[in-house]
Amino acid sequence: MISRRATELATAALTGAFGAAVVVSSLDNGISWSTDGVGAGTFPFITGLLILGGSLVNLAFGWAEERSILLDATRLVRLARLFVPAAVFVAAIPLIGMYVASALYVWSAVSVQGRRPHAQGVALAVLFLAFLYLVFERIFQVDLPRGLLGMALGF
Amino acid sequence: MANLEALLHGFTIALSLQHILLMLIGVLLGIVVGVLPGLGAPNGVSLLLPLTFGMEPVSAIILLSSMYWGALFGGSVTSILFNIPGEPSSVATTFDGYPMARDGRPTTALATAFSSAAFGALAGVVLITFSASWVAQVALEFGPAEYFAVYLLAFASFVGMGGAPAFKTLVSLAIGFATAAIGIDTVSGSVRLTMGIDELVKGVSFVVAVMGLFGIGELMVAVEEEIHVKGINSKIEWREVFRTLARMPRYGWALVRSAIVGCWMGITPGGPTAASFMSYGLAKRLSPRHANFGKGEVEGIIAPEAADHSAGTSALLPMLSLGIPGSATAAVMMGGLMIWGLNPGPMLFIEQKDFVWGLIASMYLGNIVAVVLVLLTVPIFAALMRIPFYIIAPLIVVICTVGAYSVSNSYLDVLLMMGFGALGYLFKKLGYPIAPLVLAIVIGDKAEDAFRQAMLMSRGSLGVFFGNTLVTSLVLAAAALLVLPVIIRLLSHLSRGRHARTGIKDDLRFE
Repeated sequence: MISRRATELATAALTGAFGAAVVVSSLDNGISWSTDGVGAGTFPFITGLLILGGSLVNLAFGWAEERSILLDATRLVRLARLFVPAAVFVAAIPLIGMYVASALYVWSAVSVQGRRPHAQGVALAVLFLAFLYLVFERIFQVDLPRGLLGMALGF
Repeated sequence: MANLEALLHGFTIALSLQHILLMLIGVLLGIVVGVLPGLGAPNGVSLLLPLTFGMEPVSAIILLSSMYWGALFGGSVTSILFNIPGEPSSVATTFDGYPMARDGRPTTALATAFSSAAFGALAGVVLITFSASWVAQVALEFGPAEYFAVYLLAFASFVGMGGAPAFKTLVSLAIGFATAAIGIDTVSGSVRLTMGIDELVKGVSFVVAVMGLFGIGELMVAVEEEIHVKGINSKIEWREVFRTLARMPRYGWALVRSAIVGCWMGITPGGPTAASFMSYGLAKRLSPRHANFGKGEVEGIIAPEAADHSAGTSALLPMLSLGIPGSATAAVMMGGLMIWGLNPGPMLFIEQKDFVWGLIASMYLGNIVAVVLVLLTVPIFAALMRIPFYIIAPLIVVICTVGAYSVSNSYLDVLLMMGFGALGYLFKKLGYPIAPLVLAIVIGDKAEDAFRQAMLMSRGSLGVFFGNTLVTSLVLAAAALLVLPVIIRLLSHLSRGRHARTGIKDDLRFE
């Protein structure tokens, strides 16, 4: 179970860290402001300060937040059932390529997670592959990544 | 009159077989994303965007804008039939639309919604037809200082009027700016904010960000909240449709008022969602039948629908004539414009007459196509709601992934997209607004350039922002918008002791 307070705090910390990184990184570009114009780092520097400042305020508000539940166990499971396979799919792309990864992903979502007959999962995966190939590879001429597997097979 | 001539010319472009076909496809796809909860107009338009990279700009914008109209209509269908807003901007439609449908009058509710929506859209398009080129002409006189002031006004109104907590809006906006700054600085040529990742030199494309924020992020919200469908009979009785249409003139004033609210909120970046809530709140307060609101009152459907669509349509006005999008969807479309090699802003009206007027003409046609199609297809799309999410979800994830990859054939973009997805989910859960983030990514560079050019011209003096009446009043208006919510809150605190709570403020809190 995850409380709203913890999430607010974590998010504010995350955005604050990003703000701090922006501030530090923009110092390298120079935050000059002279009659010759404004340095390349000035604008990012200011936005970094705004992110940092805003995050600190949000952090304070988050601290004062009551400990209500944002995500209970069931919701967390539902979320994981979407996000974990999606992350695995994305991680698999450089290895087995976009086509194979997509097909496996669609099939597993339908047949394993959805508990539908395998024939349905396979049919949907094949249909979707055909769609990807036609729309991207043929019509819009985007070469989708084949991954290491594709390279090994010579595609 | 020149406008009407230009519009006629626009019709000759929009009325080609190819463009009508694109309109049909766009509207149908739009209804699909509008009907599916968790997917909305900004998502749909972002998902479709990579497919338009190779198209003619006019055809591409007709496809995308038609999808927008379709999504706006589709969102109303599920609000009314299932009490599930397919779009954030159709939340207010559920208040009276669903009760009316549940009481056995779904056709009346749908027909009322569609005709008010069409009226609102028409009001928005007419406004664009007659004032866009005029606004563009005024904007041609703008220097960098004026431009920066207009951008400032847009950002200030987000923070002040967006309805979300001010500091959350600020953080969201500033993250957008920082994201826009990543990569090579266009003025000095130096590399910024890459944090040691060399590939980031090319910058973060806004397509990658919107795919993650709207595609993955909202999908996660939808899956987590597991929406259940309790359907009502979705058959359309055509005789009732015409009877409802015949009754509409009776609500003339409500229609006009809602359209005005919508146009205003569309031009200032309040967006359709705020417009529909505000209009509903106003109608509830002003209507003699206000006790009936929430139980299936006709005006309770008219007000949010007309405002929603007029805001959605008129949000394209500042995008076309100033280069400042009035809504999240308009921001995504504007990013598209830039990818197709167009420069949104006043020069469009001079250099790209065919594009501008073709788009405006297509807006008239697209909305007619949308009303007809949505009425014809309600039963089919209502059935679409029964497709389980475990089928839809992976398809959306793959499309987002391929879309992010196709921007510049980069795997890093896919990872960034997933990161933006997680961020979008967190933001959505915690009430951080996403529209300002997208807006800042799209126009962040332009705002910065305008600021730096103004500083170069003034030799580093901020006085340039108070150099003439126009720029001074713009800056002051921006400052006023920032402090306005604070003042309103103070006033309402003071008056709360005496008066009961006001309708509008409560409704706006839904944001």
